[in-house]
Amino acid sequence: MKKRPVLNILLAAFFLYFFLVSIKLLEKGIKTLGAEYTDQLFQSVSSPFVGLLVGTLATVLVQSSSVTTATIVGLVGSGFLNLEYAIPMVMGANIGTTVTNTLVSFGHVRREQEFKRAFAASTMHDFFNLMAVLALFPLQLATGFLTKISINATDAIISTGFTATKPNSPIKATIKSGANFVVDFLSRIPFIDNLYQNSYRIYAALLIFLAIVFIFLSLKNIVSNMKSLMLNRIEFGLDRTLSKGGGIVAIIVGIFITFSVQSSSITTSILVPIVGSGILAIENAFPITLGANIGTTITAVLASFAVETSDGLTIAMCHVFFNLISVIVIYPIKPLREIPIKLATALSNATAKRKSLAILYVLITFVLLPLLGIVLFN
Amino acid sequence: MSDYSLDSIDTKLGEMLTNSSHMFDLSMNCLLGDTNLDTVKENLYSTDKTINELHRDVRRELIVHSAVNSRNLDVPLLLAYMTMSKDIERIGDYCKNIFEIAETGNSFTKEAEELENFLSLRDRISGFIVNLQTCLSLDEKDKVQELIASGAEVGKEIDEKITSLLENKLEVKYPVATTLFYRYLKRVILHIVNAATAIIMPTDKIDYIDE
Repeated sequence: MKKRPVLNILLAAFFLYFFLVSIKLLEKGIKTLGAEYTDQLFQSVSSPFVGLLVGTLATVLVQSSSVTTATIVGLVGSGFLNLEYAIPMVMGANIGTTVTNTLVSFGHVRREQEFKRAFAASTMHDFFNLMAVLALFPLQLATGFLTKISINATDAIISTGFTATKPNSPIKATIKSGANFVVDFLSRIPFIDNLYQNSYRIYAALLIFLAIVFIFLSLKNIVSNMKSLMLNRIEFGLDRTLSKGGGIVAIIVGIFITFSVQSSSITTSILVPIVGSGILAIENAFPITLGANIGTTITAVLASFAVETSDGLTIAMCHVFFNLISVIVIYPIKPLREIPIKLATALSNATAKRKSLAILYVLITFVLLPLLGIVLFN
Repeated sequence: MSDYSLDSIDTKLGEMLTNSSHMFDLSMNCLLGDTNLDTVKENLYSTDKTINELHRDVRRELIVHSAVNSRNLDVPLLLAYMTMSKDIERIGDYCKNIFEIAETGNSFTKEAEELENFLSLRDRISGFIVNLQTCLSLDEKDKVQELIASGAEVGKEIDEKITSLLENKLEVKYPVATTLFYRYLKRVILHIVNAATAIIMPTDKIDYIDE
């Protein structure tokens, strides 16, 4: 592969800007819908539990928690979603994102032992994230602790005077002008202009749809360009982890890789074949996965720079704290951190003998249960 | 910008060859000189362990490289590295076999007729290991082809000696040990040549210099 680092940097920077513009477009689209209509739509998501399931299912569909969380930031920033429902959605995104590496593990299905290891490596992430939600979701419902911590953190960040958080910051102004440019460009298309003049709600829906497509495309391009740029460092980090074993170093490696490529799925999917081949023990891969959970939260923080209200930053901070707290609570206590590994190993032992169980597991956990829950509880 | 892990693998293959060269010199000196075997044995076996560990490192790094670069993977290159590292690792094993001939009480220092040939082979093979190391770092096709051709030539020369021994046309003091010794030397040569073919030949032709 020909390496073009300067081009990768320029493209990554361009798509980062395009990503922020897309979040702004989403905000514009929702505002165009009008408060009355969005309130009606919002009432259809009637409970935090449904929010959790919507977050899971949406992430399974787009195969990226970054897309979901960035969209949630846009929705919160525009006032479409309030924190009470957005926080469970962010937790759901954490669950949904683990499906990607579980699907990657199916690549090893022909060799039983290899599949066993690969499937365990991927599902330990599922079990950890489920465990984190089981522990923190009821606590959040009962006490609102994540909301409180995140609001305090947002206030603290804003009080530092950090440019990106100011309503009239040059960063926000640049993003706004980019979004205005896209809207102007769209209005030059007769069909879209006609929609704008005669049916503003369809126009707003189109804007929202385009914004979500743009968020997806820009993140995809940020990830691919950053991955090309960071390949050597990723390999170096993984080689170091292989030689040093797990622990804090592995968590830092996970944070670093995910932070660099803006995708936890990339990090966890890289781990699957390495564990599958048997050169990295599942226990040593586990902390890298936890690091990936923390590293992926940067995308929502970046997205919050594009929205006008401070709630965008608050939901992004929720994502950060949810993942940080789950790691801090579960990882240091050996019996707790062994639970996801043991569950994943037990499941992989069963699926290695009956491969159809693995397919059933994915369908039930990531599609049927969230769908059923949404239908039953909404 | 170079590839971190491929550079690292090249370095490790170079280290494997340096260690192989050291093992070859030690084992040959035991059989053709008057080196004290006890003083050499530990060094020889620990060097072999180092080669084996480097071999495993190369395999691990290849897996990591393929996991990280899954979408743009140069599969022929990785297969070449895999086969090359295996060939280099085998050189160390045959050096141990040569040492074991000496350990069983055989010494070729009094094989007046063959000693000169043995010494000549030692120097040439030792040179081939160094050349292979150079070829790895320089990636010059002509040099690699030259190494393959001269290696194959020496292989044939050894084959003729083995045939003569089997047909009792060559009289030596230790016929079994000498046959084994020639056989091991041929294996060392062939592994050097095979590793060299992995540098320049297409994947399907690696190791097949005669066809």
